Amino acid sequence: MGSGKRALDLISRRGFRKGWTLFIISFFAFFVVLPTIFILSYAVTDWSDIQANVLSDPATMDLILSSIVVSFEIAALVTVIDFLVGLPVAWMLARKNFRGKQFLDTLIDMPLAVPTAALGFSAAIFWAATPDPPAFSLAVISGPMLLIILLHVVFSYPYMVRSLTAILGEIDETYEIAGRTLGASRLTAVRTITLPLFRAGLVTGAILCFARSLSETGGTIIALATLYGRPMVEGDFQTGSTLIGLWRSASASDPTLLPALAFVSILLILLALALLAVLKLTIMKVRLPLRKVWPTSEKMLSRRPYPFFKDLSAIVFLVVIVLVPSFFIFTFVLTGASAGSLDWAPFVDSLVLSFLVAAVVTAVDLALGIPLALYIAKNRSGKLSQLLDVLVNVPLIVPTAALGFSLALFWSFLDIEASLPVLLIILAHIAFTYPLVVRNVVGAVEGVDPAYEETARTLGAKPIQSFRRVLYPLIKGSILAGAIMAFTRSLGETGATLAVVANANTAPVYIVDLVNAQEYSLAAMACIVLIVISYLAMLLLRRFTREEVV
Amino acid sequence: MPTVTLRGITKRFSDVTAADGLDLVVNDREYLCLLGPTGAGKTTALRVIAGLTTPDSGQVLFDDRDVTTLEPEERSAVLLSQTYSLFPTMTVAENILFGPNIRDMPDEEKERTLVSLLDLVRLTKRASSYPRELSGGMQQRNALARAIATNPDVLLLDEPLRALDARLRIDLRKELKSLAKALGLTVVHVTHDQDEALVMADRIAVIRAGRIVQVGTPQEVFNSPTSPFVANFVGQSNFFVGTVVASTPEGSEVEDDQGRRVKARPTDVPVGGKAAVAVKVGHTQLVKTGATVLRGTVERMLFEGRVVHVDVGVEDLGRFSAKIPASHRDRYHVGDEVGIAWSRNKAIVFPYPEGGLEDELRVD
Repeated sequence: MGSGKRALDLISRRGFRKGWTLFIISFFAFFVVLPTIFILSYAVTDWSDIQANVLSDPATMDLILSSIVVSFEIAALVTVIDFLVGLPVAWMLARKNFRGKQFLDTLIDMPLAVPTAALGFSAAIFWAATPDPPAFSLAVISGPMLLIILLHVVFSYPYMVRSLTAILGEIDETYEIAGRTLGASRLTAVRTITLPLFRAGLVTGAILCFARSLSETGGTIIALATLYGRPMVEGDFQTGSTLIGLWRSASASDPTLLPALAFVSILLILLALALLAVLKLTIMKVRLPLRKVWPTSEKMLSRRPYPFFKDLSAIVFLVVIVLVPSFFIFTFVLTGASAGSLDWAPFVDSLVLSFLVAAVVTAVDLALGIPLALYIAKNRSGKLSQLLDVLVNVPLIVPTAALGFSLALFWSFLDIEASLPVLLIILAHIAFTYPLVVRNVVGAVEGVDPAYEETARTLGAKPIQSFRRVLYPLIKGSILAGAIMAFTRSLGETGATLAVVANANTAPVYIVDLVNAQEYSLAAMACIVLIVISYLAMLLLRRFTREEVV
Repeated sequence: MPTVTLRGITKRFSDVTAADGLDLVVNDREYLCLLGPTGAGKTTALRVIAGLTTPDSGQVLFDDRDVTTLEPEERSAVLLSQTYSLFPTMTVAENILFGPNIRDMPDEEKERTLVSLLDLVRLTKRASSYPRELSGGMQQRNALARAIATNPDVLLLDEPLRALDARLRIDLRKELKSLAKALGLTVVHVTHDQDEALVMADRIAVIRAGRIVQVGTPQEVFNSPTSPFVANFVGQSNFFVGTVVASTPEGSEVEDDQGRRVKARPTDVPVGGKAAVAVKVGHTQLVKTGATVLRGTVERMLFEGRVVHVDVGVEDLGRFSAKIPASHRDRYHVGDEVGIAWSRNKAIVFPYPEGGLEDELRVD
């Protein structure tokens, strides 16, 4: 009691609070931001190596450039598709009331619960035209590009719909109603009044989708391996991320690959950051040519049956392109040929490792992410806070494979890749999940009237008491949402894991190995276990957020 | 209970000066209303007292103790915000017990505090309701009980009646003040509503652009404003601009460039000095017949219940307003020519403001 009070007094001191803030910001700088972009320094220190081994080797250069071009092409197409098919669904969720809305709402998030390795495998066996396709699969796609685009749409789609729904919910519908009472048809009102207002949401959605697609490694490797019916080799269709994964595992035995690996990572990181800046600037600045109005045709399009067709096709797309491929794996297992006997021991080991990593990562994210979020949200006008707010996005946009490799180099002075690989994996996963917690909590804190906490302070509460008793109950839901996002992302991550520790043994990596060995039934079983566990985590989230008091 | 003193408080937000050398003394157990237009710096002054805003310079004293850098929770000055900020995750009772819980009051004492406060604010039956289930008036009483439960020295009220219906607002004025008096609290009540301030305050401090422009009892502030701004902001005034042509201890006379000469109170403005004469709308009389100095045309009549508000356009002077009893409303019609008059001791002479009269009267 007495010591508890003394501890409370101590941590409420201004000096202590300053020190704590400094600690949190340093953690963010040295464990999240710096390791993420550390690889850029390689270009300075080892430029001669890059010059000798990469720039002067046309074959390697070709490979790198073509893989990066492919990565960006895919990401751009995926983002555009997500927007076109996500908008009608977001609209339905934000503006309409219909039976089964709650159900649709849950459906959208389903792919998020599935680790990308499992998702990649599930979608690949559904689409890929293999010599011996499983029952009920479409098996129509033989081109790797199309397959990967379809795959990336599956797991980036929810991000776009969520971002658009959030911003649509915030835009006051009365603008549109005013427009319509002034004589505009529904389509005209929406197009000229509402759409220009939601560019901010579009930027968020586009960045998230683009970054997800650019980052994706595990699912992509699995899908390609399934399509080819063998492990990937250097000459295959490559994205930037898969190339890093491939070279990274080869670099263990062939150190001459290091400069090429560094170069492709640097390029990916720089281009991703440049893209972030460009997207932010252009979408907010460019004036879309939305003023022109075509009254007659727009009035016609506003009438039945066009809106109905629009909604219908959006739903059909959701079901056929997103949901069915996500969960096709269950059909595959149910109708599958002899399941063989899974050697459970290594799989259980990998599962335990994955959960251990995800749990530790989530705990660290929460303990050190919430304070940073509070700092950012409460010092909005401060320069430092604004800078931190921008920096938090960096690990989100940097492709995780490049991030993982950068991190491996950053921590290489510790020399623990062999002795303590788990620690490296944890550090890598913290780097790209930390922003998820911070972003969620910043958003929530900004939504709470600061008067609550101020009143609590004048009523005699110390800062920590006012957080725990007043603010925490109000933002609990968002904290949990961030935690579950971090947990599932860590659980499903392949690219960063492979890049930071070449012979890691987490569950998604294990699944990649199974697919490479063409142990499809076993891979499917492993996927399902992973999906079920992730889905349980998701249910947990929904239950807790429902309890939230509005 | 302490005397609260603000000494030379300055606070700038990027491009706005919210406090510009603000001085104010709130006496022990006094109910002081801080009255001013929107954006005058009322809330900033309140937040500085509460410790939620740190001033750029100046001191905050509770009695002789300098509390300028003290944390909010160490001041025993409770803020009641406009929206009450009842914690939405807690019930009425939990809200009230927030303060006692924080300072680990013994359980029996907590129970006693809760029972007596629920009774005091008449919420005993709603103890386990959530704030959103309460009416506006109940929420206000709940927030008040929560504030009192911490046994504060100073109560800071930020527009405490603003969110209520007009009728309830008037009922609660008395209740709030008598409660504060019964508990012997030092109260600073921020408002932009002059009626509220006149009814409730022991003293009123009129604030404008981050400075206190006048402090005094409601009667002093209403009857003896020290500037045209206060004359107009606390009970609207009509203005006559001219030059002082006569000044004696009994009274003065002011004449405009059209040769119209009006009578007013004695003044310090020297003969020949430019002056603005202010007369409260309520002290302005309309005269149907007979010779008056000022004459004008009725432009508008607004029925307000017991009185009728009449706007009269006077040539070169603009609009003069007056209130006439509703029973007299048939005597005047829009377009009538009427005379305007007032008794000499209701007219106050101010030196003509440097920035012009319009600028002086601006409320933004």
